[in-house]
Amino acid sequence: MTADTQVATTVPPKTPAERRRTGSSGFKRVIRQILLWIPLIILVLWTLVPFFITVMISLKTRGEVFGSTSVLPNDPSLDAYREVIERPGFRGAFLNSVLVGLGTTVLTVALATPAAYAFARFNFRGRHLLLLFTLLPRLVPSLGLMIPLYQLAVTLGALDKRLTLIVVYTGMLLPLAVWLLVGFIQQIPPSLEEAASVDGASMWSRIRYIVLPLSLPALITIGVLSFREAWNEFTLVLVLTTSPGKRTLPYELYLMQGIQGIQNYPAEAAFTVLTILPFILVYARIEKYIVAGITTGSVK
Amino acid sequence: MSVVSSGTRRGQVLRRRRSKKPGAGGPRWDSNLAGQSKLAPYLFSTPAIIMVSLLLAYPVIYGLYKSFYRADFFGGPEEFVGFQNYSEMFQDPAFWDALTKSAIFVLGCVILGLVLGLFFAFALNRVVRQLRILRSVTIAPYIISNVAAAVMFKLLFNTDFGLLNRTIEFFGLNGPSWLADPNLAMGVVIFCQVWTDLPLTILLLLAGLQTIDTSYMDAARVDGATGWKQAWHLSIPLISPQIVISTVWMSYSTLTGLGVVLALTGGGPLKATQTLPMEMYSTAFTDLEMNQALAIATFILILNAILTLLYVGLARRYGTVE
Repeated sequence: MTADTQVATTVPPKTPAERRRTGSSGFKRVIRQILLWIPLIILVLWTLVPFFITVMISLKTRGEVFGSTSVLPNDPSLDAYREVIERPGFRGAFLNSVLVGLGTTVLTVALATPAAYAFARFNFRGRHLLLLFTLLPRLVPSLGLMIPLYQLAVTLGALDKRLTLIVVYTGMLLPLAVWLLVGFIQQIPPSLEEAASVDGASMWSRIRYIVLPLSLPALITIGVLSFREAWNEFTLVLVLTTSPGKRTLPYELYLMQGIQGIQNYPAEAAFTVLTILPFILVYARIEKYIVAGITTGSVK
Repeated sequence: MSVVSSGTRRGQVLRRRRSKKPGAGGPRWDSNLAGQSKLAPYLFSTPAIIMVSLLLAYPVIYGLYKSFYRADFFGGPEEFVGFQNYSEMFQDPAFWDALTKSAIFVLGCVILGLVLGLFFAFALNRVVRQLRILRSVTIAPYIISNVAAAVMFKLLFNTDFGLLNRTIEFFGLNGPSWLADPNLAMGVVIFCQVWTDLPLTILLLLAGLQTIDTSYMDAARVDGATGWKQAWHLSIPLISPQIVISTVWMSYSTLTGLGVVLALTGGGPLKATQTLPMEMYSTAFTDLEMNQALAIATFILILNAILTLLYVGLARRYGTVE
């Protein structure tokens, strides 16, 4: 949230175009506006064309993909979507993704919140371990965990379990979550809690009625980022699941491209769109939390 | 750059942000409030610390340990072989080939990512009213998985019906087989990886540009600097911390990134996109030589740590210059 307000309140420097506007003729102004907008139009195209093309292909028939030169489908049909949804692989993976996503989100928030409160508010031995949370994720990418976690999961009999994925993803997300929350809780004036303490409020009620409500934006940011990560993660689910019905959506989508002899492009496109759909539906509401997460913490 | 050092507002902004960093001061207390036990901070932080240690630190140490062992066959008994996995790795031409491919991949992504990131960040920085909507468009690639991005780029670069080749055909030419041509496949992979990573880069650089004090720009204009000159001599040096951070992040993401390459080309054609992570993955899960693959993994982790420390050192130096 801090990032969001910062971006909103900081007025960007006036451009030369804006400054000289008063003295220039209408024609020049139009040219300047066009020059200003060309890079922005390129940005929008660069970002959205892959999405657009995929949606269009998902609405075509298999023959039309090759036959027609038109980008738009002649006769849009949802057959590809029906085909994908009827595959047992898709429905199982969708359910797994939802459960793993929700589980990861809940567990991450539940573990990060008390830890962040301790790091933000207490002088205690072990405070220096906060450094662990800032350095480790940078030094340990998921690539480095693939083989060891696979071997450990085999030893512990933890392959093909949703709980394994939830626990692993939570471990990977906790550093970022704690780091974001510590910064946020430190912004809350301690005097609020001190005043409540004078009135006899216990630590629990101070956390419940002061800290948690005030850090709600940060908690939502963490929740959104956790769900996104669990929903999209590919490298670890690739090694931690081996049987059909246990995989999540990215893995199932990856397999789908390879298995079929003749590739079914509309179905692949429809599958891709369906994996993104939950985010598109809530995009307007979560967008600002994603921006906040990116700019305040995810790259440190 | 006397302009830079004399600036006060920017200094304050930086100092304020630095003090916001967790761990850097901030009000804390010992247990002197009502209902507060000395144990509380330990109880609160232990679960998270254990989780992170068990899931991030322990596997890496375990992997390092196992990289000194070797089994004769998959699942067989392992025996200590010292540095043999490493010495064989360094003698393997496939390893050097993968290292070269990774170098091309990382450099290509960082350069393309920085150029496009700066271009788009400067463009966005001139927008006031439509910034919110443009920013939400910008981050769209960030919300989708690497696999979904790879499928999209496969459709986009398809030889027969991809948008690119359809456009080339429109001009009466024949488009190449992008993903089947060893010379072109790496380009497509770089393109796709940059597409997925760019939102972060743009937002970071944009945040840097928006903290620049307008008075610098005014001063520069009085001195006659406009447009490109102003961007090159003033804006870019001022956002050098953000440029360093973006570079660190992009090289981390590409050096250790497997998803895009695996889903887009699987290392092919003819191993043209067989980067180090791909080499590690196929050694472990195709050849089933886990211990040898762990040696590659350790090498990647060390390389990543060196790069990170190098950049952090550079960033520190930038910090002290200011």
